[in-house]
Formats: sequence, C-alpha cells, structure tokens
Amino acid sequence: MVAPWLMPLIFILGAFYLYPVMEVFRLAFTNATLLKVGDSYGLSTFIDTLGRPELLQILFVTFVFTGASVVGQQILGLAVALVVVRGEQRRLIGTTILRTTALVAWVVPGIAGGIIWKMLFNEAPFGGLNSLLRLFSMGPVQWLSDPHIAIWSAVLSNVWRGTAFSMVVMYAALKAINPVLYEASAIDGARSWQRFFYVTLPQLRAAILINMILITIQTLNTFDAIISLTGGGPGRATEVLSLYTFNVIFRNYDLSVGAVLSIIMLVISLGLAIIYARFLPKGEGR
Amino acid sequence: MRASTQNRIGDAFSYLFMIVAFVFFAWPLVWLLSLALRTRKEIYLGVSRLIPHDPTLDNFMAILSSPKFALYLWNALKLSTMSGIVCLIVALPAAYAFSRLPMKGKGPWLMGILAFQMISPLVIMIPLYRYMASLNLLDNQPAATLVYTALVVPMVTWILKGFMDGIPKSLDEAALIDGATHFGVFFRVILPLSKPGIASAFIIAVITGWSQFLVPFLLFTKESLTPIAVGIFQYAGTQNDSSMQVLAAACLVSVAPAIIAFLLLQRLILSAMTAGAVKG
Repeated sequence: MVAPWLMPLIFILGAFYLYPVMEVFRLAFTNATLLKVGDSYGLSTFIDTLGRPELLQILFVTFVFTGASVVGQQILGLAVALVVVRGEQRRLIGTTILRTTALVAWVVPGIAGGIIWKMLFNEAPFGGLNSLLRLFSMGPVQWLSDPHIAIWSAVLSNVWRGTAFSMVVMYAALKAINPVLYEASAIDGARSWQRFFYVTLPQLRAAILINMILITIQTLNTFDAIISLTGGGPGRATEVLSLYTFNVIFRNYDLSVGAVLSIIMLVISLGLAIIYARFLPKGEGR
Repeated sequence: MRASTQNRIGDAFSYLFMIVAFVFFAWPLVWLLSLALRTRKEIYLGVSRLIPHDPTLDNFMAILSSPKFALYLWNALKLSTMSGIVCLIVALPAAYAFSRLPMKGKGPWLMGILAFQMISPLVIMIPLYRYMASLNLLDNQPAATLVYTALVVPMVTWILKGFMDGIPKSLDEAALIDGATHFGVFFRVILPLSKPGIASAFIIAVITGWSQFLVPFLLFTKESLTPIAVGIFQYAGTQNDSSMQVLAAACLVSVAPAIIAFLLLQRLILSAMTAGAVKG
C-alpha cells in the first residue's frame, strides 16, 4: 500500500507543477494574451516566435551568460574545494573561514544579490569596484553601461553567487577519492601536478559532469539576479532567455509567445536532465 | 627535506589563493556593510572610507522602524516557514515510502520527481497565474505557500529519502515483526531517528522560500502581503544615488536572516547538501 504515502506529494506536484506545464503546451498553440483568452488554435504563434529577429540575439546572450558562468563556477568551485581539502589536511588557518564565506554568498537571495552587485558596479564614487581600482590607479570601468562589458559583469556576479554549489559538490567528490590512489602515485614518484591530472581529474569526471549539468540548468533559469542588476540592458546586452520570457509575458502580456519561449526553456532543461539521469548511479533505491 | 619544502611552497600558494578567493567572496558584503554604516556625506568618499569615520546606525533605524519593512520581513518569515512545514508534511511520508516500501518502478518515480526540479518556475507561472486568478486565489498567502512548497518539495523529498536510507533497516524490521504497522514504524522509529535530516531539509526549504521572487511578485498585488524579496526589488527601483546608504542597509536587513540561519546550522545543511549532491 504505497499510494496513501505518496498522495500529498502527487497532489502538490500535480496541481502546481504538472498541470501548469501541460497548460503551457496548450497555450503555445493559441493566440492567448494575458488580457484575452485564446480563440484559435494553430501553429502560427510557434512559427512567429521562432522567426522573431531578436530571438537569435537573446539565445546568443543566454549562451554566453550560461556558458561563461558554468565554466567560471566549475573552475572556481573546484579550485576552492581543492584548497579547502588541502587546507584541512595541512591544518591551514582560515580554511573554514573561506568555505563559510563562499557558502554565505550562496544563501543571498537572487534579487538582493543583483542589488548588491549593482552597487559594486556603480560608476558613481560609491561603486565598490571602481573605487577599489582607483586605489591601484586603474579604471574606471563602465561595468554596466558598456554593452560589451555588461554581460561579463553579469557573469561575474553570477559566479559569485553560484560557486558555492559547485564547491560543495566538488568537495564531496574529492573526499570520496580513495587515498590509496594518492599513496600509490606518490610511491611511483608522481609530482603534484601529475597527481592532479592523472588521479584527481579522472576520479572527478562523473562529479564534474553532473555538476556542470546541474549548474547549467540553474544558470539558464536565473533571472531574478539579472532583473535587479541590469534589467536586461544596456539595450538587450544582458537579456537572457528567461528574462526575455518574463518581459514578453508580463510587460507585453503576450501569453502564447511566452508559452512558446517557456517550451524552448523546458526542452533545453529536460534535455540536460535526461543526460544527467544517465550519469546517476543506477539501482532501484536501496 | 625535499618533501617538506614542497609542502611549504604548496602552503604558500594555498594561502595566496585563499586570500584572493576570500576577498572575492567577502568584498560585496563588506562593501554593503560599509555603505550601510555611512552618513550621506561619506557615501561619496569611496573605499578611502571603507571604515567610515563617522559611522551611524541611522540607516538601519530608518529601515527597521519603517512599518513597511517590518511587514515585508514578517510576510517573508510567514511564507517561508509555512512552506517549510507543509513541505515536510508532504515529503516525509513520500520519502518513507521511497526508502522502505516495496513499489514498482521506484527509480523512474524518483527521477520523475527530480525532473520537476529542473523546470524553471517561470515556465509554470503563466498558467498558474491564470488558474489562481480564476479560483480567486491571488493575494492569498496559504495558496502561495502551496506554490512555494511545490517548487522545493522534490529536492526535500530526495534529501529526506537519502537520510532515511542511512537508518538501519533492521530497526524497523524488528518493529514490524513485533506487530507494528508501517504507520507505527514511520511515527515511532523513522521520524525520531530522522530528526537531523528533517531539521536540515526544513532549513533548506525555509532559506529557499526566503529568496522566492517570482511567485510572490505575481501572486500578490497588495503591498501588505509582499515578502522582502519583492519589497526590496520595488524599493530599490525608487531609490537614487543620494539614498544609497539606506538601500544598502535595507539590503543587509533582507539578507541577514538567511545568512544567520545558515551560519547557525551550517554543518547540518552541508551534510544534507553533500549527501544530496553526491547521491543526486
């Protein structure tokens, strides 16, 4: 008798997740807006949306933002985890402080994170980065007003917030590596960079892949941090797919186009989720 | 000798990296605090006044004494705590079933539940908004609580299932042999032994609820129901350069509860996260 145990979960997920997802598919084939119910069904919204001239630009920005964030978070997360593990072994002072500080950034709500970074990037005297650069007689940088720089500023703030997750995953994976492997390689006379490339990295392969997929999905779905940081600007320089979808629905009230865009997001996320599922350890529970 | 020199060089590099990384992670929050403690005059003095000469708590006073902010904080606390509780009520029996009861297709079920976590809340918000509007559930905190719950319950179910898997099966098997029902085992054996897992799952749900933006942004039209994440966003939009110090204080007030909760329960959360991350 499994059913009663699962009923609440099925109810919540069905009513507040599954049903809306199915509705999204229905709406994508209508011409509904927030103001009027759709009255005709057809493929026209689909075709119009995919043919929108700005879509390519949006997808490109999304690709740059997601790709750079994922690479940044993965590398920095791995580096922090390596140093934390090493620091714990060698009992270095400050290891716990570093770990805790990285994790604190991760608890900061996305909206607040965006506002905080907006203050840092501000070009007025109270901007926390330019005044730091001035101290070293560098800058100023137009962090948010130059469209070529703004996207990297958004990436930087996202890496700040997201690195902790990668760090936790990498830390757990590093701890799970059998120490015998390091002892054996030490006996073989491997140098530390050799140990890293021939023992650590291969052992982390699965964890890195899983982590990359998870943070890709997370970054793809990020929009609160960007809406409060740049609002998508200057121009469209930082308008990622999720923010574009948000604007189409809630600024232009264009429900059916928003639904099509949602489906694009859904397809990308679920595609990644399927890849993820293939890399999870198999087995029917325990 | 050689090994120890190598170690010392490694230590030096480790410290160097730790300092750089620490500055990167801490600087935004340090800067926020510095701005929040300044008077309007000192705001324009940049890093030369990292530690203000004339520090003031006036900005915090202004924020904390504003009835609007008190209400935002209270709303966020109410919504996130309620959703944490509902989340446990929903996820605990499911986690027990997935951990202990025989069922067909357990793997696909678990993956299916996790797949929801991969769907952006943005995708479901359009129809959800219409459907809540037609049911007259806009501006309704209990309804919003259920949406919060749906967004975090897949992850919480996984965390709890992982935790229960770690409880020896012999304990509940013994109770079953003694004539206990699954209901009894769940309440008398599993729940008491799961306390640390329950606590960390609850805290993770509450912290996630605290930072929810989209759901309350759409489902609440009344300012009196708005939680802090939406409140701070709207507040930031109305501020200008000369009130940066107040905005900084408001921002700190909005992030402090999550940070404090996290710091107090760091070890608990980390172990749940690690278990969740490694097992899926």
